[in-house]
Amino acid sequence: MSNRDPDNLISTNDETFDYLFKIVLIGDCGTGKTCVVQRFRSGTFIERHGNTIGVDFSMKTVLIDDKKVKLQIWDTAGQERFRTITQSYYRSANGVVVVYDITKRSTFLSLQHWVEEVRRYTSSHVLLILVGNKCDLESLREVEKGEAEALCQYLPEVLQVVETSAKENTNIDSVFFYLASELKRRYENRQINANGDEVVTLGASRKLSSCSSCSYKIF
Amino acid sequence: MRRNQPLFVQGADLHKNTFRMSEVAEQGKDLCIHTGVVLRNANTKEEEVQSLGTLNIVEYSFGKCIEWKPIEDSVVSENPDQDSEWSLVDTHVRRARTSSEGPDSLGRTRTVRISFSDLNSLRINHGGQQLIFMQKDGTTYVAFFQLSNAESFLNSLKGFINFVKSRTNRNTFIVVDEVQSVLSKSFAELDIFQENTSDYVWKFVRNLHNRPYETTLEAFSKLADICLYKDPVKSSEEASEFLTHDVPALPASVSSGDEYEVIGDHEFDVLPPRPHCPRGMPLSQEQWNKFKDSEGRILNSQEVKDIIFHGGITPSLRFEVWKFLLNYYPWNSTHIERLELKKRKTDEYFAMKLQWRSMTLVQENNFSDYRDRKNLIEKDVNRTDRTHPYYSGDNNPHLAQLSDILMTYVMYNFDLGYVQGMSDLLSPILCLMESEVDAFWCFVGFMEKVSPNFEVDQAGMKTQLCQLYTLLSTTDPQLAYYLNNHDSGNMFFCFRWLLVLFKREFSAVDIMKLWEVLWTDLPCKNFHLLICAAILNTERNVLMENHYGLTEILKHINDLSNHIDLSSTLSKAEGIYCQLISAEDQLPDNIRVIIGLEVQNNVLPVIDIENDIEASDHNAEADESDINAEKNSSTESILGFDTVTFDVKRYK
Ligand SMILES: Nc1nc2c(ncn2[C@@H]2O[C@H](COP(=O)(O)OP(=O)(O)OP(=O)(O)O)[C@@H](O)[C@H]2O)c(=O)[nH]1
Ligand SMILES: [Mg+2]
Repeated sequence: MSNRDPDNLISTNDETFDYLFKIVLIGDCGTGKTCVVQRFRSGTFIERHGNTIGVDFSMKTVLIDDKKVKLQIWDTAGQERFRTITQSYYRSANGVVVVYDITKRSTFLSLQHWVEEVRRYTSSHVLLILVGNKCDLESLREVEKGEAEALCQYLPEVLQVVETSAKENTNIDSVFFYLASELKRRYENRQINANGDEVVTLGASRKLSSCSSCSYKIF
Repeated sequence: MRRNQPLFVQGADLHKNTFRMSEVAEQGKDLCIHTGVVLRNANTKEEEVQSLGTLNIVEYSFGKCIEWKPIEDSVVSENPDQDSEWSLVDTHVRRARTSSEGPDSLGRTRTVRISFSDLNSLRINHGGQQLIFMQKDGTTYVAFFQLSNAESFLNSLKGFINFVKSRTNRNTFIVVDEVQSVLSKSFAELDIFQENTSDYVWKFVRNLHNRPYETTLEAFSKLADICLYKDPVKSSEEASEFLTHDVPALPASVSSGDEYEVIGDHEFDVLPPRPHCPRGMPLSQEQWNKFKDSEGRILNSQEVKDIIFHGGITPSLRFEVWKFLLNYYPWNSTHIERLELKKRKTDEYFAMKLQWRSMTLVQENNFSDYRDRKNLIEKDVNRTDRTHPYYSGDNNPHLAQLSDILMTYVMYNFDLGYVQGMSDLLSPILCLMESEVDAFWCFVGFMEKVSPNFEVDQAGMKTQLCQLYTLLSTTDPQLAYYLNNHDSGNMFFCFRWLLVLFKREFSAVDIMKLWEVLWTDLPCKNFHLLICAAILNTERNVLMENHYGLTEILKHINDLSNHIDLSSTLSKAEGIYCQLISAEDQLPDNIRVIIGLEVQNNVLPVIDIENDIEASDHNAEADESDINAEKNSSTESILGFDTVTFDVKRYK
């Protein structure tokens, strides 16, 4: 993993990376999106940070097969009322993490709705992962993992269902690593298969500030 | 969420203008591409899937056109520039689609083309979120801009087509090419109404009885459409008769004028230099005592507010003065009256509290709206200002108070209920008041001022974001231009600032100072927008010199949290106010409206046309949500209605 400052969005000249992917977290309020990101980004569990208003950012660079993959993580507000604003942040997302809370059935029932939003506001090539968070609270469980897997039969765009705990650091890194490597793999395949003019070159020296908001597509 | 669907406007059948790509073999040259636009045929009422697309200006051998293309997967991924809302490109083959023409399996995607030569007028609506295209034959399209605003598209159009701003409505633009052909069209030919007029009138009268307010607005919006769209034509007799007879509340001057102003005419370049406005001393105990008469009335509340506006309040006095600022205590009440009031309000509070306290489990189970609000409050109370000593630690009793007040507020204003952000607004008040009852009534006063922020359709937020951009275009045109060119003209990056009035941007101490300044409602309406402009002015060079794009702007603004100097920001905001005021007579109406000055040449001073359209919009959407059996449809339509009333008030 890279040791560069994950918070430092502003590129300095030596800030280089091989890939930059935009990942958006969505899901009902209180499912733990911010905790998940916080855990991934800094390895901590801050239980009592405020709810998210609008969107929060994090950056983290991970190393996958010796390539620096920079993840730009957008943590959105779950409140339905703010969706007109948060929807605008989906655009050009490469990966979407839809979070539900395994101890709150209603958050699971909203998944269909969230996936529809993804369909509507992102390209069909976006990678989608379902995350059932708070799996440390086994005694309060309201959603079985099997149910989430069954749901995925009807949601072909979902790559995987993962149960996580931000509190106990279960599977958090693997969600992001999995997404990052899958995005990288698909990008590389694309590069091999596609004919010349469709390839978007991601120069190793490309600075973030010059590619405002990750605007290239990887497929 | 569904609120952002474009409205229905009555009109002619539009299908004839919907081209299929295959009908035009020629490969056009894209002059401009604007992404994130939903286009709605304004006249069909059939259930259509709303799809997102791009609005382009395309040049063909037979002339230039506005073209809306749905985003197909192929298009989205093919266009690497998709993210920059505007990309000037040469002929680009990569957008040429082969398989995606015509309706797809969902029956939703078709390219729509509006030839420049068929275009009659354009209108910006919904605070810049919508652009309405009216063709000469009455065909109407509504483009809803998800990612930016209509103005930026209009700006691009400027380069290719001549149009002038209508004198009668600042949001309407008349295409001046071939005005003659439009002039020759009669009102009847425009065929605005689908119903015949007398039927319409009767329906109006019937509805008026049932839903007087909405019906009037709805009718008005339709009438306004006629007048406005027909702008170049002398007002038709039928329309003006209709106006005067059936909608008596309308100002007679609504009929169309025939003067135009050329766009840019009113644009106004440089404000006078910004004066330095030093901050003053906080309101002291001594001063406060002097303002009270022997029975405890506050004699000169304006002067008190003036002191507070310039210097805030001495912390130990806040406890008392906030109750006046937040309209819990009237300024002219005596000590004795206040004691009585407090007694009454205490009883009232506990009566409301009892309402939810006494709810049985069964009741709760059968009351999902209530349950939703309760769950949300529970979630948020546990993560509101927990780092503040007043709320920190496990089993902190103040959390229960926070929760009780919010729950009681749900009973007090069920339609608004609880929305995220409200706990942020309450927390400093409770912390200061300590008494649950006082905090509740002060919170009620605060919510009175900011409730549009929390309404279902977010219209209040959209209006403010739009107003902020408008304001910036005058106070710092260069920055406004920069933001617009970097996908940020929608000002979404200021969402958090506005939603909770900077609560997340300042320390607990500073936020009290800032709020008491704002609660004075001095020196003008929407002073909080001037504060935004002041902060942005401080950051402007960082944003522009680093060539920040959408993401970096958003991130930079987010990261300002707890790094903004309050007193210099307030000074600067007041300075900006002084700049605006010293150029008062040159200020365009849209700025005048924002800071609460009388509008100079707007013919609709009381009811702004935008709001009427919104009103009919709300109605249409309330219907829609009924169809969709939305669980909150009834609440939503009520809220929608509230929004309108509020907006209308605000524009007075
Ligand atoms: N037990 C347990 N609790 C968690 C876990 N993750 C989050 N929480 C709790 O859930 C609460 C909500 O988490 P957030 O991360 O704020 O939720 P969010 O999805 O970001 O919510 P919004 O910002 O409102 O959309 C937190 O206060 C945590 O106490 C987890 O893995 N286990
Ligand atoms: Mg969050």
